[in-house]
Amino acid sequence: MIKQSFFHYFAKLTCLRLLSILITIGLISPIILGLAGTVLPAFDYLPALSHYTFSLKPWHNLFQSPEVYGSLKLTLISGLLATFLSFIIAFSTIAVFYESRWLISIRHTLAPILAIPHAAIAIGLVFVLSPSGWLVRLFSPWLTQYERPPIWVSVQDPYALSLVLALIVKETPYLLFVILASLDQIKTCELIKVGTSMGYSRLSVWRKVIFPLLYPLIRLPLLVILAFSLTVVDLSLVIGPNTPSTFAVTLFHWYNDTNLDKRFTASAGAVLLMLIILVSALFWESCYQVITRFDRYRWSNGKRHTLFAPLLKGAAFSYIICVVLALLSLFVLPIWAFTQRWRFPDVLPSSWSFKKIEQLSPLLFDLACVSLVIAFISTLLALAISILMLEQKRLKPANTKWFDRFIYLPMILPQVGFLFGIQVFLIWSNNSGSLLAVIGLHLLYVLPYVYLTLSGPYLAYNQDFYVQAICLNKHPTASFFKIKLAMLKPALFSAFALGIAVSFAQYLPTLTAGEGRINTLTTEAVALAASGERKKVGNMAMLQALFPLVIFMLAQWLPRVWTNYRLNFQSIFR
Amino acid sequence: MLRISNFNLTLQDNPLIKNLSFTIDNGEVLTLMGPSGCGKSSLLNYLSGTLETGLVAEGEITLNQTRIDNLSTQERQVGILYQTPLLFPHMTNLENLLFAIDSKGQGLNKVQCKELAMSKLAELGLEVKANNLPTSLSGGQKARIALLRTLLSSPKYLLLDEPFSKLDPELRQSVRRFTLEQVKKANIPTLLVTHDEDDVAAMGSKLIQLNHLNHK
Repeated sequence: MIKQSFFHYFAKLTCLRLLSILITIGLISPIILGLAGTVLPAFDYLPALSHYTFSLKPWHNLFQSPEVYGSLKLTLISGLLATFLSFIIAFSTIAVFYESRWLISIRHTLAPILAIPHAAIAIGLVFVLSPSGWLVRLFSPWLTQYERPPIWVSVQDPYALSLVLALIVKETPYLLFVILASLDQIKTCELIKVGTSMGYSRLSVWRKVIFPLLYPLIRLPLLVILAFSLTVVDLSLVIGPNTPSTFAVTLFHWYNDTNLDKRFTASAGAVLLMLIILVSALFWESCYQVITRFDRYRWSNGKRHTLFAPLLKGAAFSYIICVVLALLSLFVLPIWAFTQRWRFPDVLPSSWSFKKIEQLSPLLFDLACVSLVIAFISTLLALAISILMLEQKRLKPANTKWFDRFIYLPMILPQVGFLFGIQVFLIWSNNSGSLLAVIGLHLLYVLPYVYLTLSGPYLAYNQDFYVQAICLNKHPTASFFKIKLAMLKPALFSAFALGIAVSFAQYLPTLTAGEGRINTLTTEAVALAASGERKKVGNMAMLQALFPLVIFMLAQWLPRVWTNYRLNFQSIFR
Repeated sequence: MLRISNFNLTLQDNPLIKNLSFTIDNGEVLTLMGPSGCGKSSLLNYLSGTLETGLVAEGEITLNQTRIDNLSTQERQVGILYQTPLLFPHMTNLENLLFAIDSKGQGLNKVQCKELAMSKLAELGLEVKANNLPTSLSGGQKARIALLRTLLSSPKYLLLDEPFSKLDPELRQSVRRFTLEQVKKANIPTLLVTHDEDDVAAMGSKLIQLNHLNHK
């Protein structure tokens, strides 16, 4: 008996270990293939296009291209500026509003903005900020005297300021979310009490005590934001500059050029973009180290007040502007979706109609179904993989060493180069354009977010509950599902909702693996964004924002209702 | 002298403490004991001006005949010590002490501040660890430095929230002794919240027992 149960236990462990190895290989292989598919063509080697010898020709072509330098300058400025400002705004918002009722309201704004795909926010912002947008309409003609849309460039501006704004609106809530989660780890309340009791102003304590402790905890998310801001494509296509566009968008156009030779130049550009991310991250980190070194003396110089207080308060106030812009962008989408006639400078449409949505309903239904299927499958797979790997990590952390090292790479590597590397493999393996390939690529991007969200609560779970359940003669598998996973329900639901939101937001992975044969709400919305068909785009973007938003709300509501329902149901039979 | 008069504490319409009044003279330690949830820590937070939302408290706090309950924490000049020493982990031991010194208020220059902080470290025989991070210290050393840091900020009164509870029994005794010495030297009113009856005896202090609305 003992021998048999030992055998079962051993077999189970081996099976789990084997599965985790397979998953790790499954994660690493596409990353390596993607990198190889990008790096090799960058040096003129791509047998599929009969290029069998290595050369530096793609690099030569890259630096000969006239738009490269302008693109690079825009990318660096917009990427670094957006990351820096998002960080300042997020940190200041927390520092100013921490332990106040405002913070509760701020927390409520995070989930909806986090859930909405980047492209939907960008489309909404275009509807709000453009010369004929909602913002100008709100103040016209009574304040501005405008009877016609003004001739100015407020979106897709050549300095990428609107792109920076869109990135700030989307990334600041994410950073706030990360900071709020990190503050629990550093006894923030007590440290503030100690500091203020010594006569320091609250903002001084935040600057001298909390910030140096907080930064190491949010370093990785900050680098993820930096990498994202430097490489984002969908957002730049909608709201970014055109002539020249950001470097990632330039590469995207080259990859899709009918002249296949452009792919080699694009690959060289993709490698350059990876180097730019690396250099920018090093620059960012060096700036932090230099500032810390100079600031170190100030930590203990005894000065109770900080000169930065007005700056921090101003930055915190700008978060309110971000939220207002995000909410306006959200509200304007359904308005355009149901508009029949909306003349400038009317604040609201003069006539409403369901005609457009009725006209589009077959297409919208198809797109919504495809988007949901892809999102649900990839998220459920990501959840299953995350649970399996976290269980492995709990049992033996060394077993997930490689998985932990590689899982965040897709978040940092530029999608534009990395995915086209994978596309080469997909074409070679005859999988390009299949639903399976799209789900696979979505999984690659959904998995890190789900794993990251779940790992804290999962690893902090008190295993004694599970052991207690087994001791009470429950089967280990039943105990795992009925006790452990049931207790982790809120975290599982949150991770699921985040996974859905991430999947819904994917533009390039869908486009790369789907090859135009598989379209989602996001790919269609981005493709139509430049068309000027506001009603059509409004419909697409509205649905694109609606599904993740509803699922996010359900994820917060369902675990509570589920428990209440179960308790009420049980009490009927008591 | 610290005085609190007619202190009332309510949590969601449930009174926790009613009409509590007491006085602590300079150099005196008053101990507050009571079961969990009776409002000890909330009273401490009220005295420090850091009462959490959800609790309603009222009562007059006077420090040397000056009313201070309307002042913010940073204006009250209060010293607080918690169960954990809360030495700032990113600062060296010396920097932790320097952080507390109000150079402007005390009219000290940079060198004098450093000398003062070093003299405090010397009292503990820890000059060699001045430029080390707090992780280099033992539990007892951390507790002592935390107390000295608090006192270096020249508080007008001191609040101790179970500061010995995480120390082992032997260490607890010596840290208690050290705390009492320092409090006497500083000559400021001190309120100690504890669960440990030995603390009362060791500190030789007056005792207030809080028992869910029954104060003895």
